[in-house]
Amino acid sequence: MPMVLLQCDKDIPEREKHIYLKVDGEDSRDYLPVANASTIPGTLSERGCAFCGAKLVIGGVLKDTIQMIHGPIGCAYDTWHTKRYPSDNGHFQMKYVWSTDMKESHIVFGGEKRLEKSMHEAFDEMPEIKRMIVYTTCPTALIGDDIKAVAKKVMEARPDVDIFTCECPGFAGVSQSKGHHVLNIGWVNEKVGTVEPEITSKYTMNFIGDYNIQGDSELLQQYWDKLGIQVIAHFTGNANYDDLRSMHRAQLNVVNCARSAGYIANELKKKYGIPRLDIDSWGFNYMAEGIRKISAFFGIEEKGEALIAEEYAKWKPKLDWYKERLRGTKMAIWTGGPRLWHWTKSVEDDLGVQVVAMSSKFGHQEDFEKVIARGQAGTYYIDDGNELEFFEIIDLVKPDVIFTGPRVGELVKKLHIPYVNGHAYHNGPYMGFEGFVNLARDMYNAIYNPLLKLAATDPRGALTTPAKEAAE
Amino acid sequence: MTPEKIDQLFDYVQERCLWQFFSRAWDREENIDGILKAAAALLTGQPPALETPMDRLFYADAKVMVSDLRERFPWIEDSGAAQIRDLLHGLKDKLTDFTITRSLNHELNHTLY
Repeated sequence: MPMVLLQCDKDIPEREKHIYLKVDGEDSRDYLPVANASTIPGTLSERGCAFCGAKLVIGGVLKDTIQMIHGPIGCAYDTWHTKRYPSDNGHFQMKYVWSTDMKESHIVFGGEKRLEKSMHEAFDEMPEIKRMIVYTTCPTALIGDDIKAVAKKVMEARPDVDIFTCECPGFAGVSQSKGHHVLNIGWVNEKVGTVEPEITSKYTMNFIGDYNIQGDSELLQQYWDKLGIQVIAHFTGNANYDDLRSMHRAQLNVVNCARSAGYIANELKKKYGIPRLDIDSWGFNYMAEGIRKISAFFGIEEKGEALIAEEYAKWKPKLDWYKERLRGTKMAIWTGGPRLWHWTKSVEDDLGVQVVAMSSKFGHQEDFEKVIARGQAGTYYIDDGNELEFFEIIDLVKPDVIFTGPRVGELVKKLHIPYVNGHAYHNGPYMGFEGFVNLARDMYNAIYNPLLKLAATDPRGALTTPAKEAAE
Repeated sequence: MTPEKIDQLFDYVQERCLWQFFSRAWDREENIDGILKAAAALLTGQPPALETPMDRLFYADAKVMVSDLRERFPWIEDSGAAQIRDLLHGLKDKLTDFTITRSLNHELNHTLY
């Protein structure tokens, strides 16, 4: 019973291994969805590609770095600007996009010269920028362009620049998860340890797996400043390229997104002996717990408690206002992977919201172990869900609000179900105490928005021309 | 020691503690051993080890866990040192069984991260 074959999947029965319905009395030793596996032919996956995982999620966040995408122009546009991660230097990384704009002739005759020219052009046009990441994409990987050799040549010609190469074409893995992995491991092998940071506090840490989505990192930075902790590197929210070269000097790695950045925390522990502390940065209860753990590590518990008390005094009444109005709301979370387990218990404990279905695009089985341990019985846990499955799940669990991306969000809006952007947020930041109030506000606004009911009312009645769905 | 009490502790850890679900079997084993050892010290009034960075990490996780356990399960205050050690030993066995030995996670024993 717990592994579920949906009606829409009757012709692709392999999907049964990817959909789990939690039942009381069973556990993850009995059933665990298959995850991080190739998408099954016949299913319409909404995954991204491996290149996207490296560029859009991690590398592209850096605020002082040219992101040179060696490939056709679409690879650049489709991984630019769709995730809102601002920076405190005027959002340099969101204003510009760089591409070698490969065309057929370059594919036939090779693209290395074009890449070299593009790299020089970019540095010439932006003389204040001295750092660059170069990415391969599917076509330039297939033709064998040697981007490392080109980067070496450009660095020899320009001694004041530093370039990192990320060889992770879209086809390198089953989803964007592979891109996270390649960038993490490449960075720790090639760049960490090549810059010595200035140490300004006796307490130092890296904050790993925060991407400053609508200001998440900047909000949390206020906490670390108040605690007197120097963050040597945020990986990679609002971060400079050279911050990340200095990660070896931190005393502690605090990990939020264990999926996209757990690898570098593991490697830093292995190579440099830096302990890895995983926390949840979304939710009041979780955020307080994270601050307590960090404070305990450094022996500054009193400061931690003072910070928590201050934040609770400021934000808890506002959270409770929303909790009164959101209690009993049924929520679906269809995002990348970690937000399933970060959010399911925090919205339940802090807002009285019940999570009834969760789908992960690129989570691994580790993520499903976490979310099944934290989530409720009667909830669906889906790996690599497709659109037809989403529609069927909606019929089964009748969510009041769905946290997902804009593409699926547009689909559910047609069913007049409110959606909140679970990737880039509606009006974030969502991390920290203030952030979770923002999340609650966006959920409240979505649910109580009268426009959805208005849109569901069609005054034309029977006069409308019926439109059949393709499947009908 | 009763299985019911171990189940209560286990349910708490499953719901709250990310350290049980680290990437590889050896990480999970290291965390379970280190944190439960620190928790045992805290619960029995012994000074926890704080010499190395990993000691302080285990202490940080254990401190929050012990505080929660005392709040959720008042009976723990009435347990003697031997009983607490037995309880945590039972908890360790159950966590190891769930998250390592009989875990269905296929990535647990990859040699690389």
